[in-house]
Amino acid sequence: MNDKKKLVVSSAPHLRDKGTVGNAMRDVFIALIPVSLVSIYFFHWYAAITIGVCLLTAVLTEVLFRKMLKKEPTLHDWSALLTGLFVALLFPATTPWWKAAIATFIAVGIAKELMGGLGRNRFNPALFGRVALIILAPLISFIDNQFAALYINLGTVDVMTQATPLAMLHQGMEMPGYGELFFAFPGGALGETSPFFLLIGAAYLFYKGHIGWRIPVSILGTVVVLTLLLGENPLHHLLVGSLALGAFFMATDWVTSPFTNRGKVIFGIAIGALVILFRVGLAPTEGVAFGILIMNGFVPMIENATTRYQFGRVRKAVAVTSGEE
Amino acid sequence: MEVKAFLGGINVPHYKSFSEKQEIKEIKLPQQIIIPLSQHIGAPCQPLVREGDRVKAGQKIGDSDSFVSAPVHASLSGTVSSIEDKKIHSGEKVQCIVIDVDKKQESIEYADNDLEKVSKEDIVKAVKEAGIVGMGGAAFPTAVKIQPPPDKPVDALILNGCECEPYLTCDHRIMLEKAEELLQGVKLLQKVLDVKKAYICIEDNKMDAISELSEKNDDPGIVIMKTPTKYPQGAEKQLIKATLDREVPPGGLPFDVGALVQNVGTAVAVYEAVKYNKPLLERVVTVTGQNIAEPGNIMVKIGTPLEHLLNECGGIKEEPAKVVMGGPMTGVAQEDLEVPVVKAITGITVLPPAMAFGELEYMECVRCGKCVEDCPMLLYPNQISIYGEAGMYEQAEKWNTMDCIECGICAYVCPAQRPIVKFVQQAKPQIQNLQNSRNNT
Ligand code: SF4
Ligand code: SF4
Repeated sequence: MNDKKKLVVSSAPHLRDKGTVGNAMRDVFIALIPVSLVSIYFFHWYAAITIGVCLLTAVLTEVLFRKMLKKEPTLHDWSALLTGLFVALLFPATTPWWKAAIATFIAVGIAKELMGGLGRNRFNPALFGRVALIILAPLISFIDNQFAALYINLGTVDVMTQATPLAMLHQGMEMPGYGELFFAFPGGALGETSPFFLLIGAAYLFYKGHIGWRIPVSILGTVVVLTLLLGENPLHHLLVGSLALGAFFMATDWVTSPFTNRGKVIFGIAIGALVILFRVGLAPTEGVAFGILIMNGFVPMIENATTRYQFGRVRKAVAVTSGEE
Repeated sequence: MEVKAFLGGINVPHYKSFSEKQEIKEIKLPQQIIIPLSQHIGAPCQPLVREGDRVKAGQKIGDSDSFVSAPVHASLSGTVSSIEDKKIHSGEKVQCIVIDVDKKQESIEYADNDLEKVSKEDIVKAVKEAGIVGMGGAAFPTAVKIQPPPDKPVDALILNGCECEPYLTCDHRIMLEKAEELLQGVKLLQKVLDVKKAYICIEDNKMDAISELSEKNDDPGIVIMKTPTKYPQGAEKQLIKATLDREVPPGGLPFDVGALVQNVGTAVAVYEAVKYNKPLLERVVTVTGQNIAEPGNIMVKIGTPLEHLLNECGGIKEEPAKVVMGGPMTGVAQEDLEVPVVKAITGITVLPPAMAFGELEYMECVRCGKCVEDCPMLLYPNQISIYGEAGMYEQAEKWNTMDCIECGICAYVCPAQRPIVKFVQQAKPQIQNLQNSRNNT
């Protein structure tokens, strides 16, 4: 017993699943690469620069804020990069680069880090950043006028000037074919270019166990039911705008969706209803971002209302013998 | 017969191949044994011997007057060298009787009783005298368990042969090699409890044990049950739910739903106690893992120092290693190897450097819901971990921390690597204090 063995101790369990937060975030990032490539295919440098600027801003913002808050940067968890990519995919290619940068700064700096960091943020950071820019529109247009010189002219890409499918839908214009809308159609934000490639990414995340079916199915199901009731074309509503991106990637965000199963369904149905309310009732707004953000705010309430009973409370156990207990 | 699965739970890698084909074998005797006076839930024993006394193998050396307790015996003959407080595998310090083992072994006399003639009282007395405790890890005195309160009659006996913990194979080998004794033990338990139906539950990754027992069993009152292989199938409440479709209420005991669960190893010990008046002085321990030279299922004398046992199995291959008393999901990692093997130790899992992680760095809960999805007690481990970490024990209590069976699934699946079980273990005594002070006012 004189040669002390080198022994490692820790609390149980001594086996751990391989999945970590960093791996999961990285997988979501990977799942978004196909649609990002489609947007670059359509919008060339405009898309590439928007994406690049957002990624870079996200990383710098996280480092800056965590330094200020005296915390270690946690770039290895991929959450900053992922937020950056999400913000980029929420903007059309015509967006000036500095607008995308401000949105990313707000997303990572304010909506994530100042809220207490990953896990404590109540609202989806990327959507928060995107919507902040809409709400701050007067300020933004002021800056716009001051800094007109900052625009980079990369030559024209003519697909960028045409109406977005969502606008076409509102104005009752003739819509592109379903196939085109589904596989790849240039219009709207970068992440709206291809529901098909978004679905491939979502399938990968489903296979990896990072997202479940409850939230996307209840969002999309609600959209179909409500559009049918309102006499709209459900397929058009499914295929246009950021519905696919929102339903599969953003509403399913771990941190900002309910952790109860019934809660997920309620959350999804409410988002679907809000999307239709915005799109049909308050046309022409894109309701996906607002719908998800609004419901993010209700998550604690939904969770409280949908907690299950613990083991042993579900049914009264039956003692076969005396029957009284 | 087949049983349904319970809700929650996960598939963990089995890692059973290291030892599942190894027959139970003996090892060289240690030079010294350490017998803790408390190897069970309940009152510790008082020593019945003094320093310098000579003891025989099987001699009772510690006992207690309390109802909930179990006597301890010398597992080998020798001289008591000291009676002192020593650290045991749980990390606690417990009074222990240390015995220097003789070269020439001397044992007490064993009886050979006629099992047809034993009465209920004989069975209870033999089990009590033998110091039998739950050998699946629970360590609850068996003599207490087989005397259920009169207002809570038991109508179903479940024998737990699931062995759902990864790596461990001792129960598997017992069912294969001691099938006759096991079936006899079950009949004795049925008799003492007045129970007509007994179910021997075995996970379907041990088909050889299922067919062995089905072949040997000729009693219509004993049913061999095949359960799905899913962790934690062998947890008492989950097993009752799966076998009988009865749910033990929160804070309740199997008695509350007319059930009683015994580990298969315990049933064999009961048989030996009643038949031969043999005390519990040895047990089968699985010594296993990627990092032990010769994995196996060893018949170990109670009190054998861990280091001796590991050396007899070829020693640890590579350092730094992690030596876990028990299986990897619920076992306790050991700081040193001087601790003794006690009655409830099912196995020793020796993990290699690549798997020997210390306390992991963890993040905030990212609310992924994986732990919620998989918790077999249908709790909210995420909430428990948040309130436990913050020291908010009233909140932790509201989220039913006291119902946690510490199966380890939540921490296993958590992508943020949160040490949820550790938080639970820290919170439970605090919540107990809260509850006690509430009851006193
Ligand atoms: S350790 Fe407790 S909280 Fe965690 S999964 Fe098991 S029973 Fe649930
Ligand atoms: S598994 Fe971990 S990160 Fe996920 S909800 Fe549970 S505690 Fe939070």
